[in-house]
Amino acid sequence: MPVLNVRGATVSYGGRAVVRGVDLAVEPGEAVALMGANGSGKSTLIKAVAGLVPLAGGSIELFGAPQKRFRAWKRIGYVPQRTGAASGVPSTAAEVVSQGRLAHRFLGMPPRRADRDAVSRSLAEVGLADHAHCSVDTLSGGQQQRVLIARALATDPDLLIMDEPTVGVDAETQAALARVVSDRIDAGCAVLLVTHELGPLTDRLDRAVVLADGKVVHDGAPPRPVGEHADPHHEHAHPHANGDSADEPFWGGK
Amino acid sequence: MNLGLLDYFQFEFMQRALISALVVGLCAPAVGVFLVQKRLALIGDGLGHIALTGVAIGFITGAAPMWTTLAVTVAASIVMEILRSHSKTSGDVALAMMFYGGIAGGVYLTGIASDKGVANLQQYLFGSLLTAGWDEVWTIAIGGAIVAVLMLVLRPWLAAICADEQYARVSGLPVAALNLLLLITTAVVVSVSMRAVGLLLVSALLVIPVVTVQQFTRSFKATMFAAMAAGFLIAGAGVLASAVKDVPPGSTIVLIGVAVFVATAVLAAVVRRVRRVRRGHLPPEGEPLEVELPAGNA
Repeated sequence: MPVLNVRGATVSYGGRAVVRGVDLAVEPGEAVALMGANGSGKSTLIKAVAGLVPLAGGSIELFGAPQKRFRAWKRIGYVPQRTGAASGVPSTAAEVVSQGRLAHRFLGMPPRRADRDAVSRSLAEVGLADHAHCSVDTLSGGQQQRVLIARALATDPDLLIMDEPTVGVDAETQAALARVVSDRIDAGCAVLLVTHELGPLTDRLDRAVVLADGKVVHDGAPPRPVGEHADPHHEHAHPHANGDSADEPFWGGK
Repeated sequence: MNLGLLDYFQFEFMQRALISALVVGLCAPAVGVFLVQKRLALIGDGLGHIALTGVAIGFITGAAPMWTTLAVTVAASIVMEILRSHSKTSGDVALAMMFYGGIAGGVYLTGIASDKGVANLQQYLFGSLLTAGWDEVWTIAIGGAIVAVLMLVLRPWLAAICADEQYARVSGLPVAALNLLLLITTAVVVSVSMRAVGLLLVSALLVIPVVTVQQFTRSFKATMFAAMAAGFLIAGAGVLASAVKDVPPGSTIVLIGVAVFVATAVLAAVVRRVRRVRRGHLPPEGEPLEVELPAGNA
């Protein structure tokens, strides 16, 4: 039974279909990348999977249950597209990470030993054990991103969903992140990773699904950068919806 | 000025005023810390405007204004939450509607009830602690205790939905219920504390203690407790100052709060400058510069 099964998913914003009839399955313990150029619909599809945008058509099953009736959200670790972990009121890294344990606690009850252990373990996993009591807005962008990943790991997920975790993140963090995620994959956690660049993280993937214009154009072996970048069709195959510069190392294969 | 500071508390009305102000000072920041986190710092003001309609309904019906205010503000906060989550109305548009509608409703209804002591409206606008009776003090104390306990017990959950609502939703928290609880609690604080600081200034006690202490705190928990302590002290000092000068307590409470905020903001800037020399933790170093520097100088 796949941990995630998307059938014919269609999502539209104001009548414009952004995701059009996508099929996507992730088996237990499988690491899948969802790739595509900016505007290809990959982030929208992830948001639909997370239940943040409604489907216009098709169905999504999580751990065998229809999304509407799915309640075991604590089995899913979610890393949102980076907005920064900082916010109006100061919070320590440990406080942000412990948000990942709230679904395991009864409303209004203090944290148990397992909750505290999970928080310190996942902070250590991303290399921020020393920064647990630092305010997140004093951390660098890469460290803030690692805090958000630690928060997702703290839930002890069976499916880890990450939306562009490596955008604007330094090389040190990318490498640390790749290590952490491979460890989790080895431990049997399934991973669905949205990315538009190949890096240390993508080396460990089992499969890549490539979206273009809201449709699946490739579902199989992860792409290799050299071959694709050499492809003459690569350059202008997909317009940059967000108007990013042309030299960005995106991958938009065909 | 022959009276010593403590002599004021021989008078029962001063004891009542001080108790209610201290309770409000303690509880308002406990709710306010979540509102600041959610970037809804002005919601207290919006509900304060709505409360005006509630007070006017109290005048017309002859019911106690505190209870009609409570009913109206709670209803308004439910409508606002439904608007915010189920339509494309953004938070600040809903807030603007509350400001306009609340004032207009209050003026209209007090116009209708003009024979029933409109002069009283001023005591709700600017606060009139000194005329509160003991039963009113008890209502404030019980309401405050409920609010404070709820906020302290649910702190991690409320902090999570205020910091990152989308993440909270994906992690399976009851986001809608918690949002509603926070808004209703805010409505309770506004209605209960209108006697202390007045409807137009009620937002100040929700926000000022929080933004004052967060210049020094590092964690959400510390911010919450320190803000409650600061609110307690500011409200107490404000009541004493109002007794000495014989002015409405709302004004002295808020003026002291603003003065404390400005003073700490200046102090925090100085402290930050000093700390920059010896930071608690070092910035990441040795990060490779991901560009190739041109060799030689072309």
